[in-house]
Amino acid sequence: MLQKLKSGATPYYSIAFLLLVLAYLLSAATNDSSRLNDLFLIIFGLGISTLILLTILLVRSLHRLYKNFKHNQAGSRLTMRLVTLFVLLILISTSIVYSFSIHFLHRGINSWFDVEIEQALNDSLELSKTTFDIRRRTLLRQSRMMAGTLSNLSEINLNYSLRELSDLSSAEEMSVWTLDGQLVAATIQNTKVIVPDKPNEAIFRQLRKQQDYISLDPADGDRLQLRAAVQIPSKIIGEDPQVLQVLFPIDEQLSVLAKTVQEAYTDYKELNYLRKPLITIFTLTLSLIVLLTVLASIWFAIWISKRIVHPLQELADGTQSVASGNYNTHLTTTGHDEIGFLVQSFNKMTQRLTKARDATQQSHQLLEQQTNYLSTVLSSLSSGVITLNDQHQLKTSNETSGRILGINLQSYIEKPLVELGKDHHHLIEFEQLISHEITNKQSGWQQQIELLLEKRSLTLICRGTPLPDNAGWVIVFDDITALMRAQRDAAWAEVARRLAHEIKNPLTPIQLSAERLQVKYHPLLPEDQTGLLNKLTNTIIQQVEAMKDMVNDFSDYAKNSELQVRPYPIGTLINEIITLYRSNREHKIRLLSTLDNIKVELDVTRFRQVLHNLIKNAIEACEDANMPVKIDVDYQLIQQKDSAEDMLELTVRDYGPGIPDEMVNILFEPYATNKVRGTGLGLAIVKKIIDEHQGTIWVENKQPGGASIQISLPITRASL
Amino acid sequence: MAFTMSVYEKFRPFFIFLLLLSLSFASQASESFKVESATVKKIGNGYVLNAKIAYPLTPRVKEALSNGVPITFLQEIRLIRSIPLLGQYWQWQKTRWETTLSYQLRYHALSEQYILKALDTSYQRSFPTLTAALDALGHIESLNLPPERLSDTIVTRLQIRSRLDLHALPTPMRPGALISSKWQLSSPWSMAEWQ
Repeated sequence: MLQKLKSGATPYYSIAFLLLVLAYLLSAATNDSSRLNDLFLIIFGLGISTLILLTILLVRSLHRLYKNFKHNQAGSRLTMRLVTLFVLLILISTSIVYSFSIHFLHRGINSWFDVEIEQALNDSLELSKTTFDIRRRTLLRQSRMMAGTLSNLSEINLNYSLRELSDLSSAEEMSVWTLDGQLVAATIQNTKVIVPDKPNEAIFRQLRKQQDYISLDPADGDRLQLRAAVQIPSKIIGEDPQVLQVLFPIDEQLSVLAKTVQEAYTDYKELNYLRKPLITIFTLTLSLIVLLTVLASIWFAIWISKRIVHPLQELADGTQSVASGNYNTHLTTTGHDEIGFLVQSFNKMTQRLTKARDATQQSHQLLEQQTNYLSTVLSSLSSGVITLNDQHQLKTSNETSGRILGINLQSYIEKPLVELGKDHHHLIEFEQLISHEITNKQSGWQQQIELLLEKRSLTLICRGTPLPDNAGWVIVFDDITALMRAQRDAAWAEVARRLAHEIKNPLTPIQLSAERLQVKYHPLLPEDQTGLLNKLTNTIIQQVEAMKDMVNDFSDYAKNSELQVRPYPIGTLINEIITLYRSNREHKIRLLSTLDNIKVELDVTRFRQVLHNLIKNAIEACEDANMPVKIDVDYQLIQQKDSAEDMLELTVRDYGPGIPDEMVNILFEPYATNKVRGTGLGLAIVKKIIDEHQGTIWVENKQPGGASIQISLPITRASL
Repeated sequence: MAFTMSVYEKFRPFFIFLLLLSLSFASQASESFKVESATVKKIGNGYVLNAKIAYPLTPRVKEALSNGVPITFLQEIRLIRSIPLLGQYWQWQKTRWETTLSYQLRYHALSEQYILKALDTSYQRSFPTLTAALDALGHIESLNLPPERLSDTIVTRLQIRSRLDLHALPTPMRPGALISSKWQLSSPWSMAEWQ
């Protein structure tokens, strides 16, 4: 409550009200007729203290304003400026009015007084005095004469003489007193008056000095009378002297005139005397009211300034909070003026901003959903999809693209595509192809590319489509390696099947016919001719045999037999094969690994063929090049942390001439051979069997010489 | 409370100034009215008061008087019954009866007389000199006191004092007179003697 009184406008209102009441009381108290006369000092004191209190409050208010201004609080500058302006206006206008009022007040009051009027009044008073002076002297003389007649009379005679003299002189009252103030005798014309008017002590004192007394006396009821007091001459020595007092009435007309003169003179003199206090009191009242007006105006100036600035301050705060992103700012509408309109507009603006923001958020969410949807679709695609901007920088890539290329493409986002080629040599061709195509082409394109990865080759088919507005390109690429291989395998299988069917069938009759020729015509021909016959028919039979072998190989290759897999210790299997080849002492075949507890799920028969083919191939390569046959066979277990499967890596390395570069990519394809002997299907069959075991096979040339064929086979941990 | 304290702390110099101001008002003029003597005399069954009061006027009052401003004098008389509760130091007093005699003194320029008028009775007397008028004013002679209030003269006291009625002054003069020491001429309460 106290805090509220202290901080709110209540003290100002109450003090302003109090001051108004005081001003009224003050103005009322300056009227003589007012009953508030006795309260004058209290009112005045209270007024002054209230003014002081108001001043203190105002000073406090102004101080607070100045403090705000100094601390640069929002709106304080404008408030300060407005207050200063208002206060200046108030002070200037009030000072002018005040100074003119004071001036007119002084002039007005001073104009009441005039030297000539004063002189005239003085003169009229003097004139009246002179008039009465003559009369006084006459009456004094008359009184002395009367006193003479009263000398030494007995009390009875005295009374009688007094009445007689009173009647004669038309005196109102005649009385005889001793000098001690004792009444001796008296006669009074007015029957209502019983006791005669006693001369006062001053008169007696004068009479004791033997001086007669005569004066104009204002009597009751504003009447005037002449009072004469003379000593009654005493003829007897030693007798107490007596005094005669005579009161003479003054005729009514003269009395009225004298009264008018006296009153005018006294009033004027009093007024003249009161001139200074009058001016002072009027000035004081005026000052008090002016001060009240000024203070109230200053208070009003502060109040109105705050009132004007408050909505502006709120607006400023609101604008700041909107600037900092809070669009929910709502200001209270203050009025119907321009500021109120401004506040309304601000509120409308924030409402619209909120709506716009909500709409943006919604569309953003929608966009995000769309993006998520799209990225989900893209990631589930088996094709790699990347987008490039017009600067050839990678913008987006789906998961599959990274998986196909075998790198983390996300780390190349916002980087030029060239970097991809720089960091990964096997992707240079890929990068160059795309760069070339998107630089030179305006419309969509499609290219097939074969990349040589570390352990395998990769065939990609790339399609580029420009984005609208030249914003870049979207590149879609598919790993068609498996597809290509499958196509090739299928083609070869068909060839093999046909060969078997079309060639193998006529071979037997050819062989039989040749044998029959030999048997039938051998006895019929002369001795010298039989040799030739045998030679020719043997040639046919041998070649047919060779063709049969070749066709059998093809049929083996083309055969799609079911794998008879079972866990088998790989070490044992390799040892079995190597033992067969150790019969030739020139062949140095070593098994480097000693791990004998690794079991692999495989078709033993077919895997045995794999090993045979590989070792045979290595031996033939060395022998063809007239190099010593030296073969190392090794195998090891490669554990993979992030997979349920481990890998068995099997290596067959020779120290022969190595594989020509042009052969590396096509080594495992049928008829990819540079050897004189053989069908060219050995490695193709190996590849086929390894594929059937879900494994991979690749070849590397080793330094300083020789080639290494590596097989990688998955093994489930349970089978170990 | 906190607010009062803080305000006091803030404006302490101002409060001290106010205190000093009030003290300065308290200091009285050097010369003021004085009851020189007051006696209560029993005459017959009744009691009468005789008193003498000196009225030394300051030049300011005389100036006002000579300029035609009427001055009102008040003579206050009261009978109090005082019951001592703790010797003479602490007495319980009760006013039994009181009266105020008002006199107006003014200067009559035409007759050059000072007119003393009893405002209660409208009886007026004129004096050639101010001294004579004040002398007459200061003489209270045989003022009848109410006998029913004087049944017990042992515990009843009569007090008398005189002062100027400043509220009777013309309005413009009043504020100045009320705060000026030159107009503060009141006599203290004086005890009358019983005879």
